[in-house]
Amino acid sequence: MDILFYMLTALAALAIVAVTAGIFYILIRESYPAIKKFGVIRFILAKDWDPYREVFGAATNLFGTAITTCLSLVISVPVALGIAIFVTEIAPDFLKGPIGAAIELLAAIPSIIYGFWGFFTLAPIMANHIEPFLMDTLGKVPVMGPLFQGTPMGIDLLTASLILSIMIIPFTASISRDAFNLTPEIVKESAYAVGATRWEVVKNVVIPYSRLGIFGGVALSLGRALGETMAVAFVLGNTHQITSSLFDTAATITVTLANEFTEAASKTYLASLFYLALLLFIISFAILALAKVFLIRYQKKNPGGH
Amino acid sequence: MERETRRKLQSAVALVLSTLAALFGLFWLVFILGSVLVHGMRALSPGFFLHDPTPAGIPGGGMRNAFVGQLLITFFATLIGVPVGILGGTFLAEYARGKRLAHYVSVLADIMVTVPTIVVGTFIYAVMVKPMGHFSGWAGAVALAVIMIPVVLRTTENMLTLVPWTLREAAFALGAPYYKVIIQVVYRGAITGIFTGVLLSIARVAGETAPLLFTSFNNTFFSGNMNGPMASLTVTIFQYAMGPYDDWHAQAWAAALVITFAILVVTVVGRMVIKLRYGKK
Repeated sequence: MDILFYMLTALAALAIVAVTAGIFYILIRESYPAIKKFGVIRFILAKDWDPYREVFGAATNLFGTAITTCLSLVISVPVALGIAIFVTEIAPDFLKGPIGAAIELLAAIPSIIYGFWGFFTLAPIMANHIEPFLMDTLGKVPVMGPLFQGTPMGIDLLTASLILSIMIIPFTASISRDAFNLTPEIVKESAYAVGATRWEVVKNVVIPYSRLGIFGGVALSLGRALGETMAVAFVLGNTHQITSSLFDTAATITVTLANEFTEAASKTYLASLFYLALLLFIISFAILALAKVFLIRYQKKNPGGH
Repeated sequence: MERETRRKLQSAVALVLSTLAALFGLFWLVFILGSVLVHGMRALSPGFFLHDPTPAGIPGGGMRNAFVGQLLITFFATLIGVPVGILGGTFLAEYARGKRLAHYVSVLADIMVTVPTIVVGTFIYAVMVKPMGHFSGWAGAVALAVIMIPVVLRTTENMLTLVPWTLREAAFALGAPYYKVIIQVVYRGAITGIFTGVLLSIARVAGETAPLLFTSFNNTFFSGNMNGPMASLTVTIFQYAMGPYDDWHAQAWAAALVITFAILVVTVVGRMVIKLRYGKK
């Protein structure tokens, strides 16, 4: 009887391994026609995405994914660190819990709500107020000017990245907060004792001490942002192009899949979409594994935390 | 400026910026929930829950089909995902505790928790929808179950690890075999945690859209047939939002309101239970 239960639980645990391996195998099998036709490097670098001529390349999708992900990190990481600092070092005790919990609520809102809200509420605000303002100010600065030129429509890379950044703030913030909390009180006290200001303690003691934890948190958010679909599907426009302006529409891997998967009529088209899914799976798997490595190393350094 | 003053000023500026960051985060939370509440309330009526959609472009109708579809898909996803997750977590926390294998599987589960859900959708499309030849509620349920399994597995593992080892030893001393110890002693000690974890994981998959797009697809008619395409609230929101009719947009807001607040309530209650039960260790 005990053996039976043992087998049952072992089988269930191995289901995870089987599913992971299964996803790899199935995605490779399904995208094989496209892999054979377009190769690997050629597919990644090709800018074409033409269902009529049946010529496909991943470059425009990878471009959209890379830009939205990077930009969302640029916005969210400083904010998330600020929140973590506020919650651990500044807020009075009775505010620490509630504010942390409220920020974490952002993570519980379904991603489709972000996209939906972004489409109907945020995009018009971006188009009418924020983007014209950015165009008149940052758009005139040399070097970075071209980023902020074009037609402010609200449906573009900038809006999509902003929505993504709001979505991932809670992940970076809560992991950084946990990491900050693990800094031994005595190390901080010592810094205060030699006359350091509060900011100097954070900058020179707390942040260096929890560096690995922060990296882990950022990498985890990066993995989230890469694979996010619905939050960007509404506001990115799904145009396959590589552009220099943040006010242009674009397409990410996820948005392309969401919009075109059920419409793919030909074998090559569908295989190319599976190929994109495979690329996304490999990239996010690698980044999330990296995040785990950081977090595990951090835990080993600080047993007692989680 | 004196060095002291400069350092103090620098510190003050940094602290103010951090406070602003916290306000920035709270601002979006209030903004999003506020918009959903204001727009959603306008379209909310009993008919919204009780009627099926009218033909496109004709005002009126509701989302009864999507509510039923969403409940069915989520229910079967739970039925498939939760037992597998709990048993798997049991294996890692009990039989394989401390073994290298357990460590690797649990890291893998952690990675799978965050893997893009749309990829799971394409996977299920290839293994279920294509061979069967049509979209189906079952495919949607399995896709959500695949997303659920790693979440439940990790929660179960954590909760079982919190049960003191001495409790098991006491049961062993009475001569109980390990499976009896697990079922009658360990599970009983961790039941609150596991149950809450399951609730949180249901709340998480209930808001998923991407994995349903190519599995359960959508259906404008009322259907209790898991073997055919099935409507869900989330996919319907996507379709209605992209459509041209004002009435569709209003209904999508109402659906957004219902699903957001249902999920937030479950999440908040779940987290409070966990905090009360395990907060002060």
